[in-house]
Amino acid sequence: MTATQAAASIGPMVKEFITGTLRARAEGKQKIAYTFIVCHHEEIFRAMDVIPIWTENFAGICGAKRDAERFLQKAESLGLSRSLCTYALCGIGFDQWREELGQMPPDAPWGGQARPDFMISSGQILCDPRSKWYQASQQFMPDVPIYNIDLPYPLFQRDRDHRDVWGYYHKYIVKQLRGLVAFLEEQTKKKMDYDRLRELVNLSDRTWNLIEETYDLRKAVPCPMGTGDAMNTMVPINFMMATQQAYDFFVNLKKELEEKIAKKEGEVENEKYRLMWGGGLPAWFALTDFNYFNSKGASFPVETTYRMVAPLNQMDIPETKDPIEHLAWRWLGYWTFWYDRAQKRPGSEPDVERLINRIEEYKIDGVVMHEAFSCRTWHVGLIWQLHQLSKIYKPIPVYVIGKEGKKEKIYRELPSLILESDIIDITSYSEVDTRNKIDAFIETLESNRLNKAA
Amino acid sequence: MTKVVILNQGIIASIIGPTGPEQRRLANKVMEEALNKAAISFQTITYIVSTGYGRINVPFADKQFTEITCHAKGIISLFPKAKTIIDVGGQDVKGIKIDDTGKIIDFVMNDKCAAGSGRFIEVIADTLRVPLDKVGDLSLQSKSPAKISNICTIWAQQEVAASLAQGIPISDLLAGVHYSLADRICRMVNRIRVEEAVIVTGGGAKNKGLLKALSEQLGHEILVPEEPLITGALGAALMGKEIVKLAKKDNTPLKTKERILEEIKIL
Repeated sequence: MTATQAAASIGPMVKEFITGTLRARAEGKQKIAYTFIVCHHEEIFRAMDVIPIWTENFAGICGAKRDAERFLQKAESLGLSRSLCTYALCGIGFDQWREELGQMPPDAPWGGQARPDFMISSGQILCDPRSKWYQASQQFMPDVPIYNIDLPYPLFQRDRDHRDVWGYYHKYIVKQLRGLVAFLEEQTKKKMDYDRLRELVNLSDRTWNLIEETYDLRKAVPCPMGTGDAMNTMVPINFMMATQQAYDFFVNLKKELEEKIAKKEGEVENEKYRLMWGGGLPAWFALTDFNYFNSKGASFPVETTYRMVAPLNQMDIPETKDPIEHLAWRWLGYWTFWYDRAQKRPGSEPDVERLINRIEEYKIDGVVMHEAFSCRTWHVGLIWQLHQLSKIYKPIPVYVIGKEGKKEKIYRELPSLILESDIIDITSYSEVDTRNKIDAFIETLESNRLNKAA
Repeated sequence: MTKVVILNQGIIASIIGPTGPEQRRLANKVMEEALNKAAISFQTITYIVSTGYGRINVPFADKQFTEITCHAKGIISLFPKAKTIIDVGGQDVKGIKIDDTGKIIDFVMNDKCAAGSGRFIEVIADTLRVPLDKVGDLSLQSKSPAKISNICTIWAQQEVAASLAQGIPISDLLAGVHYSLADRICRMVNRIRVEEAVIVTGGGAKNKGLLKALSEQLGHEILVPEEPLITGALGAALMGKEIVKLAKKDNTPLKTKERILEEIKIL
């Protein structure tokens, strides 16, 4: 169940997108590329009329439809371990099956994933399957070329200003993106229209700012839209950037949220607790857990997952008229967005700083994270982030009887809950146990709430 | 196991019975037993709180709380300085962290794998044909604990059987099994940063061999309640008592179920 009309419209939108790729494949007029989200290259694709297929998205659809298991098993039968990224496993299993049959596997979710003309992998810092996945898939599609773009960014160092070195990174990324343009020109036999690219980059920038303004509205009490919905509205952010449709979607969502706020309509009827989804990809087959939280009076005004934008007007990046150069600066601006603030707080790091800022801005009572066993990228840092958070940040004031029998004010850390399962591997999930943990967490929040009220 | 604690000023009756597949029928039965033991009628019970995995299967309960909250409540009443609770049950293992004010600040649970729960020891004891209540003492006789390398209960069972065939003494095997389980428990509870006083409850707290291994690997002294199996039920009863007290103080009506104990028909 979704709280907003906008989120409810996402399902048909994704279905139409998948169907559209299948139509395009049949017509053969446009080139189709497998690729990954969060690479800041959508504008280049769209300017060249290349249709991106977000392979993580299709794996997520299989998971949400609880139909990933047979593709995971296919990949396992190829000798790949279940402990690898299950998005990649699902995609590789699907590709192998489709290529073996010469047609879509039976009852493929929403018609299946179209065969690509080429694959754009990404050797960026986010995760290793981004460069390895397509290499594995290429075994079954040897005629489909891979082009890899490298997208690094300077890692956080407390005692260094990242701006000292980001010029080098910028030069390198620009070269990578120009390489992508050259590859696409060769594949499509078309020349890049830089005026069109500039327009699309401008459209994306405006969409970024609009998303920030829209999501900021969720600071309202009661919160008009929760993370359960944001796991739907992530679609235009991550899969439809640089399209008018994505921009219009957020215009409508913003309007809807403003109306809800005016009517004091919250995600939950009686908002008792405000929670943050502090990280980890969701269990796509168990999104109803958000409804379970809601049924206990818990709303999720903010999440770090899939909010892959930052306000451009707050980014300290140089101005340029060259759209490729701008994309590279925006990439660097996004990944270093929290660096300055993290340097100012002892013991903090960019990811922790982001949590603290969100907790304060959105008046958060507790943090929920999800450790998806097969996602190494997220998994490694989550527990560490929570430990750092509890070490340097204790926002809950409570009164205790001190040593001399007098009332003393102390500060308690924010309660947190780590859910454990996977992004799409349903065998890792137990609804009873997950909800038992949620119940216990809610009891902790309630005890804090009563304490604060007292 | 299903447990009942009836509380007045102190515990007036407590019952521990096995949980079968028909939990809802059993809830009636153990309640009846506890009432008989306390020699009181069902109508005299002011408030009933159920807890644990089967808490929703107690039709006469006035309120439900999770075992995390109830264990913490029960333990704090027995050990006011408790900071870390480790509940080693047959189904799962839980770690609970409590702050200076007695409030829960964090918890972890292993609920997916038998290898991290008391069930691990039950399976191994069965393989070695050692009664469960003798496992702890027997393991303390070990001079050289065996190394159990498998973390899966089924594989560990085979490993233990193979080691037994090779002539490794049962006491060494049991000690090895305790170290293996303690190792997994420690890895899990260390996530909540263990602090003294550390209290162990549940069936695992009755196993001296496991307690020794846990204490050594945690590097902390371990305290155990006199009746480690009933701390959750005790906590539930204390939660009930608090609710009644609060209702009296605020002069608000107490919402309770009708006090009828009748067998539920399960299709």
